[in-house]
Amino acid sequence: MAEQNLVEVRGLKKWFPVQKGFIERLVTRQRQFVHAVDGIDFDIRRGEVFGLAGESGSGKTTTGRLILRLVEPTAGSVLFDGVDLAALSLEEVRRTRKRMQVIFQDPFASLNPRMKCGEGIGHSLEIFRVARKDEKRSQVLEMMERVGLTPARVLYDKYPHQLSGGQRQRAVIARALVLHPDLIVADEPIAMADVSVRALLLDLMVQLKQDFNLTYLFITHDLATAKYICDRIAIMYLGLICELGTLEQVYRHPQHPYTQALLAAVPVPDPHARRTAALPKGEIPSPITPPPGCRFHPRCPSATEICSQELPPLRPVPGDEGHLVACHPAK
Amino acid sequence: MNEPILQIHDLSIDYPTRVGLVRAVDGVDLTVYRGEVLGLVGESGCGKSTLGAAILRLLRPPGKIIAGEILFNERNLLALSEDGMRRLRGARISMVFQDPMTCLNPLQRISDHVVETIRTHHGEVSKQEARQQAAALIDRLGIRAERMDDYPHQLSGGMRQRVMIGLALALRADLIIADEPTTSLDVIVEAQFLDLLRDLQRQFNLTIILITHNIGVVAELADRVAVMYAGKLVELAEIEPLFDEPLHPYTQGLLKSVPNINLTEDHLRIMDGSPPDLIHPPSGCRFHPRCPHVMERCRVEMPPFREAGLARWAACWLYE
Repeated sequence: MAEQNLVEVRGLKKWFPVQKGFIERLVTRQRQFVHAVDGIDFDIRRGEVFGLAGESGSGKTTTGRLILRLVEPTAGSVLFDGVDLAALSLEEVRRTRKRMQVIFQDPFASLNPRMKCGEGIGHSLEIFRVARKDEKRSQVLEMMERVGLTPARVLYDKYPHQLSGGQRQRAVIARALVLHPDLIVADEPIAMADVSVRALLLDLMVQLKQDFNLTYLFITHDLATAKYICDRIAIMYLGLICELGTLEQVYRHPQHPYTQALLAAVPVPDPHARRTAALPKGEIPSPITPPPGCRFHPRCPSATEICSQELPPLRPVPGDEGHLVACHPAK
Repeated sequence: MNEPILQIHDLSIDYPTRVGLVRAVDGVDLTVYRGEVLGLVGESGCGKSTLGAAILRLLRPPGKIIAGEILFNERNLLALSEDGMRRLRGARISMVFQDPMTCLNPLQRISDHVVETIRTHHGEVSKQEARQQAAALIDRLGIRAERMDDYPHQLSGGMRQRVMIGLALALRADLIIADEPTTSLDVIVEAQFLDLLRDLQRQFNLTIILITHNIGVVAELADRVAVMYAGKLVELAEIEPLFDEPLHPYTQGLLKSVPNINLTEDHLRIMDGSPPDLIHPPSGCRFHPRCPHVMERCRVEMPPFREAGLARWAACWLYE
């Protein structure tokens, strides 16, 4: 494992069995699977913000959960700081998990409504037994100050419903940080926030990354927002990575027709720049029976015969170091 | 485009809550013209959805219109009987919500929805004829013919939202109120839906009030934009002047804090503070605690919403 990588994902797959009714199960023998994540490879380097972007059903959230080992992979491995999580016992996984924390989209759903804000933030200190009761309060207060939950002493005793949306998301961030993790998996962390709050939260996340020496996996459907925080980004489509590179590479020189379509479809807040580019036909197909060959070929304007037969591997774009694309026609 | 279809005068809406009275909409004046797309934007809690629901008199209790009038084709909707209002809803004014699943009957096929809508509102059509019309309409929405007998849950979110627009078309509604119609859609599907909406709008000269927090969606579709903040209308202008030269400091801050994929800057501008608590709104201009241009007068006196240039209005003491 390269020293610079905090996370290495290799051949990672997650298939979920499709639930069927009793009769249906008697009649059809064949079991069906949702190919949520279908064989992906990437590294997250220490100290970077790695973006994972795609539409709903692309497998980005499942990937995040696999890295945290909240779900068991069907195949493949995740190395966290050189250790294969799948090979660890549950107790060891628990200890490793202290070093990886998660921020979900909905701060309301991720805070216990019966726990005071400060208690909720400090709860993980108790779970992992890293702080004595009397230390806990001071550690939590300090973290609340750091994420801008001020006045911390007042807000400590508020319940989640008494906080504003922005404050709730700050509380979720504080809770993730209080254990001083190495990796934060942020799954649509600001999607629910209002525009003016969003900018503040993004700024806060960048600041905290520097202060605490963090690495982020930033999962998002919003390419316009990802631009302001990610260093590198992977675009997912139907369980596979179709393009990966630095922001500059992916946004300025997108190679995959899907990436190009995705970027062109983002509404631009400028009436002089109304979109004129054509859109791909139809919608993302079912991940239960993904199309053969390149998964994007039925919607792709530049598809050729080989695209419907062979799955293109993710390979380097010649002359552009670190830029990977999975597309037959792309040169 | 100068024929007013909807005129809202001095409309105020209250929500009594356990902890106090929330004035969700406060003295709003707004005119919508036939054939235009009016974008109504603002952050959550600014009153934009409440305003949209009030036009149809569909406020969720305990919300109550306490003052003002809403003239639709010169009839005051607030004076209509509940029965008269019901006949107007759907038929003359249609609503498209964020989640179409809440508006489609899960036990009815898509074709049945459309056929039923056509037959209820244009009585003398035979079943067969209505089905033919429905098929043509569904085709116009870009939904393949073999999907027309599907149930709502079998369709994707994008297709469901197309059906909602289709129902409004089947009714030949004069006014469509679309409240966050694309918020639950993925970007490509959203763009496809906006394309369809723009085409239909041009073809049928539809009048649409587009309520959204997404400034990008408004920039794609709207002819004019109304900006709300804390229950007040703070600015109204045609789309290009509004984006080129926003007058109200809130609009200025809002536009600067929207991520733009086309720009190369790597930093978003941040607006200080957060929207006010509407139970205890700030005195004077509601934006004054966050305003970079705040003056003494702003703290005490509420600026009126008035003309601040050619065909544009703003509520700000800077433009006296």
